[in-house]
Amino acid sequence: MPDPTIDEALRTMLPRLRRFALWLARDEHAADDLVQSTVERALTKWQSRREQESLRAWLFSILYRLFLDGKRRAGLYARLLGALAREDEPTWPSAERVAEANATLEAFASLPVEQRSILLWITVEGMSYQEVADILAIPIGTVMSRLSRARRALRLLSDGPHASPALRLLK
Amino acid sequence: MTTTPPSEHDIHAYVDGHLDGTARNEVERYLARHPERAGEVQHWRQDAKQLRTLLAGDLASSSETDPARIREGSRRRRLKRFAIAAAVLLSLSLGGVGGWAARGLGAGTQAPMADAIQAYRLLAQDHALGMDITTGNEGDLRAWLAGRLGPAARLPDLTDAGFRPMGGRLFATDQGPAAMILYDDGNGRMVSFYVRPPGVARHLLPRGTREDEGLLADYWSDGSHNYAVVAVADDAGREAARRMLRGAI
Repeated sequence: MPDPTIDEALRTMLPRLRRFALWLARDEHAADDLVQSTVERALTKWQSRREQESLRAWLFSILYRLFLDGKRRAGLYARLLGALAREDEPTWPSAERVAEANATLEAFASLPVEQRSILLWITVEGMSYQEVADILAIPIGTVMSRLSRARRALRLLSDGPHASPALRLLK
Repeated sequence: MTTTPPSEHDIHAYVDGHLDGTARNEVERYLARHPERAGEVQHWRQDAKQLRTLLAGDLASSSETDPARIREGSRRRRLKRFAIAAAVLLSLSLGGVGGWAARGLGAGTQAPMADAIQAYRLLAQDHALGMDITTGNEGDLRAWLAGRLGPAARLPDLTDAGFRPMGGRLFATDQGPAAMILYDDGNGRMVSFYVRPPGVARHLLPRGTREDEGLLADYWSDGSHNYAVVAVADDAGREAARRMLRGAI
């Protein structure tokens, strides 16, 4: 029996989930598919959700895992790299977005997935350290040290590459 | 008056605006006495603020992901779509990562194999990145390299020259995928072997050497790829690079 309050609760989170998915997958179609799969899974697993767990952290964690699973599967075909790396262009962000992109955004985009996620959750979404610890299933102290590393990496990358050549981090 | 440094937790909580009153004052007092730390923390705050501003425009949702619609949707179709998404992710995770991100960085003239020097800096000096493959077996690294850059990308036999392989990492460049293999020179110093395709313009390099902020790069080309050996620009590094070049060319 569909429950309209569940739908409404999920609906309010959709824009945030999609933003996160975009910054993970950096492709609009892939991002929509990720959000769709996340909602689907959330609907089927709604009953098993712990009451005290924040809905936001729960949904972000589902999406994050779906993305990592997809990546892992993708890794099986890693030997195709040579062809793909040259031919494929991400469809997001748009050209206009690239034009306005600045060093911070470029640096953010090239961080490893986990660092990018941690920074988005904490600085952009304003999530608590405990929520992030729950998503990653790590102690809060580990969140702090990974956050330090992420902030340093972001700084290094947004400071560093200006005078440098087009070297990109392949993840 | 003594001050104990604030915990890592408090520093971040300060950056993220989670501290109030006393706790915040304490962090501020500490930072006032430690300008170098204060500089870093100030940068972190600016970065966080900028990210918030820049990503604020990315909030949108598609009607396709509306829960009510998803309840109705065909499960089979969705699974198929997700398989497609995985394929898209594949291309992104392999090639697209920097696809747009670094577009703004590539402008201007570049010193030869500057990417090799930057790769060394990130991996061997700053430890900002991990390896894609960690192994002491040169044969494994050779197979790894050939699988990613093609059989023409040659990894010479350097263990004979006294080098111990440590691992490798891939980078995307405008010319195509590049790889860096890190070696221990036998005395605890790291020397890298870097290989990159010449790109569609087939820009092949003459043999050369240059130094850049404490690092040296020896570079050359074998007609199908450009290569560089990078080490710290001191006597020991120079000697190790010479030794690697003898084994490589």
